[in-house]
Amino acid sequence: MKILSGRDLNKEYTSRDRKVRPLQHVDFDLYQAEILGIVGESGSGKSTLLKVISGIEKPDSGRLYHQEKEYTGSGPEKTGRFLQMVFQDAYGSFDPKMNMEKSLKEGTGSDRKEIIRVIGEVGLSEELLSRRPRHLSGGQCQRMSIARALLSHADVLLCDEITSALDVTTQAQVIKLLMEIRDAENVSIILVSHDLALVSMICDRIMVMKDGIVVEEGKTEDVITRPSDEYTRKLLNSIIAV
Amino acid sequence: MKKRKAKLRKRVIIAAVFAVILVLIALFSGVLAPNDPYATNSSLIRQAPSAAYLFGTDNLGRCVLSRVLIGARTTIASTFFLVAVSFLIGITIGMLCGFYGGIVDDILMRIADLMLAFPQMVVAIAVAGILGGGLGGAMIALGITMWTSFARLARSHTLSIRNEPYITAARLQGKSGPQIMLTHIMPNILEPVLINALTQIGTTMIGISGLSFLGLGVVAPQAEWGSMISEARAYIQIAPWAVLFPAAATVITIVVFNYLGDAVMEYRKAE
Repeated sequence: MKILSGRDLNKEYTSRDRKVRPLQHVDFDLYQAEILGIVGESGSGKSTLLKVISGIEKPDSGRLYHQEKEYTGSGPEKTGRFLQMVFQDAYGSFDPKMNMEKSLKEGTGSDRKEIIRVIGEVGLSEELLSRRPRHLSGGQCQRMSIARALLSHADVLLCDEITSALDVTTQAQVIKLLMEIRDAENVSIILVSHDLALVSMICDRIMVMKDGIVVEEGKTEDVITRPSDEYTRKLLNSIIAV
Repeated sequence: MKKRKAKLRKRVIIAAVFAVILVLIALFSGVLAPNDPYATNSSLIRQAPSAAYLFGTDNLGRCVLSRVLIGARTTIASTFFLVAVSFLIGITIGMLCGFYGGIVDDILMRIADLMLAFPQMVVAIAVAGILGGGLGGAMIALGITMWTSFARLARSHTLSIRNEPYITAARLQGKSGPQIMLTHIMPNILEPVLINALTQIGTTMIGISGLSFLGLGVVAPQAEWGSMISEARAYIQIAPWAVLFPAAATVITIVVFNYLGDAVMEYRKAE
């Protein structure tokens, strides 16, 4: 079942008197309980695509659908009912003046019992609820961020470079957690990353972006073993070279 | 670094203690005043400081100490009220401009620019003159320009945090603009704007006393330091104490609050 889709999405802005087109005729589909990976180098348009999907930015043209219902132009106040974001900057995604319990309660309207249950699911203990974000580790903060998304009962999680600020061990734990959540909660996940190796490990499908254009899209195995685009081959070669 | 922070902290505490003492004096001035500050006595005109009248008496035989104490209430209370109102108006306008931007920001910030184009005291004298004097008129006259500094500061801090992920997260949680401003933006910009309010206390006190001195603020017989200095300067050579004590009270209060503002600002910078 198709949960989220976008058709012919375009976005353009001017930066230092130069026109930039981070999205050019982008189409995508996300199915239930699927993990879709979006890869590409910096400036390829991946993060802009997430902002457009979440309603933080409006596309110049194109259409967005949630369960076949169009939501193009809806702001995050409305899209938040069915999707949530997990940010690259986990610390920055929590109000520095609030403790975790207040942040989770204020954001989701959940009671303490529910919050304790969900943070338990993401592997955190109750005692962390009284702490402010700066008193948590990067991994704990990212787990809290995932817990907040789960408490919102969203169908879709948008994950923007969520492991790039974490050490290798914590990266693996967070990725494992995402897969567990997908299986347990049946949520769909869009995982944006510049790390093709990571994306190829956990995603069902991969979309490769370059200069705002989707250059390749397909099942992970097909993209990794039989890339049809030169740019994808370059990305794959760079992993092998490393 | 730790030593410096401890030193700065000590400065903040000392300044705060003095400020609290001044506020307490203002609050309990009615109890502390040894005589009726408004009672005139023709047999006690311009008495030099003595055991009975520690600060002497003025041209109408009124106790200067009692008038300085009661004047503290007028001066400090009106200053605090004006700073608080300007703070509230300024922070609200600043947050609205910084958060929503666009035409709201353009209009309100151009009004602020217009206010800042003239020296504050010149605008205050003109407005107080039009309003015809009185403490209320003086406060409106000073408040017209005062909110701009709070608004500009609040706007710049709002601009710096409005795109933070936690604001985006709050929007995705369905929070409206006013809810986000109240629960996330205000607590995070409050500290620098409050410190600015502390530093504004001294300036505001000078403004209120200055307007009263010019006859555009508090009107006789109400006791207020600026108007007391203005009244007594006519006979300064015969009874200098009637000018010196309210002037000293004004200077001490301004120095204490300016010192407190500077100390808090330096302490925050060191953090």
